[in-house]
Amino acid sequence: MRVEIAYKFIMGFIIVVGSIVVLDLVVPLLGVPEQMQQLVSLGGAILVGLILGSLFSKAFTGNIKVITGAAERISHGDLSQPIRLKASSFPDEMSDLAESLNKVNGNLRELVGKVRDASVRVSDSAQGLSATSEEMTASSHELSNTVEQISRGAEVQAETVEKASRLIKEFAINTELVASSSKKVSDAVNVTVQTAQGGGEKARHTMDRMMQLLQDVERSGEQVVNFGDQLGRIGKIVEVINGIAQKTNLLALNATIEAARAGEYGRGFAVVAEEIRKLADSTTGSADEITNLIAKVQDEGQNVEVSLRNNIAEMDEGRKALELTNQAFEEIIDTAVNTQVKSSSIAELSKKQIEGADKMVQAIENISQVVSDNAAATEEGSAATEELSAAMGEMAHSAQELASYAEALAENVKEFQFGGEEAS
Amino acid sequence: MNLVLIFRLADEWFGLKVDDIQEIVEAPELNYVPRAPESILGAMNFHGNVVPVLDLACYLGLGNQAYGERAVVLPIGQTVLAFGVTAIDRIVPFDSEMMLPCQQEEQKELHIGMLYNHEGQMVNMLDLPSLLGSLETI
Repeated sequence: MRVEIAYKFIMGFIIVVGSIVVLDLVVPLLGVPEQMQQLVSLGGAILVGLILGSLFSKAFTGNIKVITGAAERISHGDLSQPIRLKASSFPDEMSDLAESLNKVNGNLRELVGKVRDASVRVSDSAQGLSATSEEMTASSHELSNTVEQISRGAEVQAETVEKASRLIKEFAINTELVASSSKKVSDAVNVTVQTAQGGGEKARHTMDRMMQLLQDVERSGEQVVNFGDQLGRIGKIVEVINGIAQKTNLLALNATIEAARAGEYGRGFAVVAEEIRKLADSTTGSADEITNLIAKVQDEGQNVEVSLRNNIAEMDEGRKALELTNQAFEEIIDTAVNTQVKSSSIAELSKKQIEGADKMVQAIENISQVVSDNAAATEEGSAATEELSAAMGEMAHSAQELASYAEALAENVKEFQFGGEEAS
Repeated sequence: MNLVLIFRLADEWFGLKVDDIQEIVEAPELNYVPRAPESILGAMNFHGNVVPVLDLACYLGLGNQAYGERAVVLPIGQTVLAFGVTAIDRIVPFDSEMMLPCQQEEQKELHIGMLYNHEGQMVNMLDLPSLLGSLETI
């Protein structure tokens, strides 16, 4: 049965007062002298009061001591033991207080446990977060490196694209040069065709003239041969004359001999014979001269004949060379016509090439644009990656701080003792 | 007036007095004479007479190939003979002051009587009696 402390005081007082009364009644019955009666009853009452008071105060202070000790424990963080008051048939406010303190203890234990769990979890999470953020920092560094490489690659790409653009422009210019050159070639080939045709015509004309000349020279050769034959005939006549002159000479000699034999009568005849001999001599001389001249003329004629033959051979060679020339001119014309066709097709092709090159220049400029956009984007990406890296560093730092906070919290919470439940 | 016929035997000039010459014949048609000496070229028909032709150059030892299709016929009567010579030069007047005596034995063997200087040209004058005398022995 619950009795409040105030009532307990009141009841004690009542019991003391009641005991005084009882004693007053009892004591005379006990045969105690009168003068002693009052003293005994007073003594009895004081005794009762003392007993009650000591009992009461003992119980009260015991409870207070227990509660104070528990509060002291709690204040030191020892939450392991609940408060147990001595069993009392009359619980009072002390029990309530103990109970409340026990509730506080339980609540505190629960709270501390939760805080400890939470701090452990926070610590774990913070460590995990720290690790993750470190990994992320590393990854972001890698990303940053990669982005830098991409950036460098983009610069190289941009340079390459610029070079390609320049090369293609040069190519386009060269192609235009080729087109204009092939046009010039076509014109030159036209001129060449005309010239070659003219040359062929002239070569044919020259060949005709050469043939005529050849015939003339052959005729001249025949005439020279005839001339030689006639000279030979003249030579024979001269031989005859020579023979006649020798015979005349001999006759003159014989006439001289006959005249000498005739003596004085033959003297005139001897003079005539001498004159005849002289005539024969001069005839022989003239005939010899004629023979010499004929020999010379025949030599000359032979020389003329040889040189005419040489001329004929040379003219034949010339004719052959002219034929070859004519043929060469025809070949030149054929080749030139082919060249014309080819050069016009080259001109067309180079026109198409110029169009293609323009398109390529356009495409390369588009690529260049995209590449420069890429470069810019890559630079932005690089900056963003650096920011990300910095943020990751900060985050790692924060996670480490958080972990240290959690550890500090756990350290703080560790002061609380749970008794047997601490293992959990 | 004496005349001398100058003719050539091989490379030597010889002379013969015109009085000792009947006629000069050109390229006579020669007939083969059997068993004749080497120096007899053959026989020719001279105005109906058979006249042997002597290769004078060969006979005088001046060479075998010197006959030049000319023959000098000696006067018919005392002898019947013709000399085949290399060439006939001409007939010149004979100047006895230009005769030089010949004393060498060698020239005697060639039947050369005198040397005749005709305008600087030395001509061997044939000693005809000596030559004909030597011919008798053939």
